[in-house]
Amino acid sequence: MPALDEYKSSWADEIELESGSLPPPTEDIDEHGVKTVTEYKINKDDKKVKVVRTYKLQKHVVSKSVASRRLLHKFGDSANDEPGPNSQTTFVSEDINMQLITNKEEEKSNDAVVDPKNQFAKCRFCNGGHFTTNCPYRHTAAYIEKILDTKPQASASAAETTSSKPGKYVPPFIKDQQKNAGNKGRDDTTAIRISNLSEATSDADLEELTNKFGKKSKMYLAKDKNTGLCKGFAYVHFYSKEDAAAAIETLDGFGYDHLILKAEWSKPQYN
Amino acid sequence: MRPLMLQGHERSITQILYNREGDLLFSSSKDNRPNVWFSINGERLGSYNGHQGAIWCIDVDWTSTKFMSGSGDMTLKLWSVETGKSVATIETKSSVRCCNFSFSGNQAAYSTDRAMGQECELSIIDVRTMDSSLNDASPISKIPMIHSKITSMKWFLDDTIITGHENGLIASYDIRMGREINSIKEHTHVIQDLQLSKDMTMFVTASKDATAKLFDVDTLTCLKTYKTERPVNSAAISPIYEHVALGGGQEAMDVTTTSTRAGKFDSRFYHLVYEEEFARLKGHFGPINSLQFHPDGKSFASGGEDGFVRIQVFDQSYHELVFE
Repeated sequence: MPALDEYKSSWADEIELESGSLPPPTEDIDEHGVKTVTEYKINKDDKKVKVVRTYKLQKHVVSKSVASRRLLHKFGDSANDEPGPNSQTTFVSEDINMQLITNKEEEKSNDAVVDPKNQFAKCRFCNGGHFTTNCPYRHTAAYIEKILDTKPQASASAAETTSSKPGKYVPPFIKDQQKNAGNKGRDDTTAIRISNLSEATSDADLEELTNKFGKKSKMYLAKDKNTGLCKGFAYVHFYSKEDAAAAIETLDGFGYDHLILKAEWSKPQYN
Repeated sequence: MRPLMLQGHERSITQILYNREGDLLFSSSKDNRPNVWFSINGERLGSYNGHQGAIWCIDVDWTSTKFMSGSGDMTLKLWSVETGKSVATIETKSSVRCCNFSFSGNQAAYSTDRAMGQECELSIIDVRTMDSSLNDASPISKIPMIHSKITSMKWFLDDTIITGHENGLIASYDIRMGREINSIKEHTHVIQDLQLSKDMTMFVTASKDATAKLFDVDTLTCLKTYKTERPVNSAAISPIYEHVALGGGQEAMDVTTTSTRAGKFDSRFYHLVYEEEFARLKGHFGPINSLQFHPDGKSFASGGEDGFVRIQVFDQSYHELVFE
């Protein structure tokens, strides 16, 4: 292979190249009924690729008519497909969790999270019911940026709105900005993160753990997608900031299922 | 469980449909090839090639042997489910908007659009022979639609057809007598979809007036209303729980000018009785055009304007859900 000799590669690559053709594909079924198929192939950049696919083998008992249909020959556009799903037409998309709405007032309160009691003070950064200087995020770099940006941005967007005539095309991202000016991250201000939860924690446990603090808008317990066991942390969104603060106060250092929990404000996402 | 995405269509999905056992999932789109999939793993069994226009409606009979598709090319085609071969082609005077097999699968009904100087008409044909003789056979009966165009239709048992109309009217027709039995106007806009509950005592409608409503089959009384902020394109009743799933989103023509989040393309789950939304499921990046529960109630499929069909198996938390 003269072409390859010219190419200066690392010794590790060379050893692999010397080992010759691709290793044979392997199939392995473990005791949990998980089949692992490992294949090697060369992709279009002439690089060796290892493809590992894991399947969960399941047995289904079905009626005769269903079973007979399983054996049908493919036809039409799929006539030349091999048995099993064709990756051209069928693929598995990313995991999407159902968003359970635990409280019916979520819709309304999303628009007015600000606590009426504290309306005299409104944080310029997170729109929470406190003075900007007391913002829990004031130590983050984004806070400083935001505070610096707020004024010029506000005036700029105001000028834009007034100049734009109705019916004029407004790009979606601007529209979004106008609509939720400063809205981003507001949702997170009443959210807390609870970590060091035990594996056995379930949604119901979390519910039980947090319901005494007040109304929640959302609860998310991180779970392993294969085993369904808790990954050790959870996010809980409260309606009111006080409830969230009370929850942190109580739960931080709280002993639960032989573990000491850690509770803190959820850090907002910036994207 | 991670959702399966089925990409067999080049254009937006118009209808998806499970067969009775739920092992097959049919899908049709504005391209000219209805597809059939195995719902368990998303494997495509085949496509029914032969139409020349957008497919507006599909139906499969009780035994999953006969399949029917109505198209904008002004034909209704009957197919053999298993081989994908066209058995008969019935020519119509305008495009076929809705089609249904009767409960027994002996008869089929189709409705044609009010277009090209033709009035909207509901035609009943006998499909017992299932061969090319159907091509020339004239319909057993024809019911002219005096109200407005039929936009959705369900055949209830063997003698009644329930239709949803363009102006929001719902009517039921006795097929044996060939006349209207009852009609009610609860919706203000076009009724996009109409699906029966498993026990066939109720049906749910989805309308562009941003509501879905639950009706009693016999009396056509409106029992419940599920409100959203966007047009509803499809609604389905869970076969095992008192849940109603709604799919929709803003009009397809506005999709490009707003963000995905603003479009509200989620499937929404409402409690059947309390009319209260309890869950949402994201996925599509265009409005959902058709949505149906698997007959076992443990998964559901949705087809969207984005051309994808998604099969989502519900996770445990859905099954454990308790209403307070």
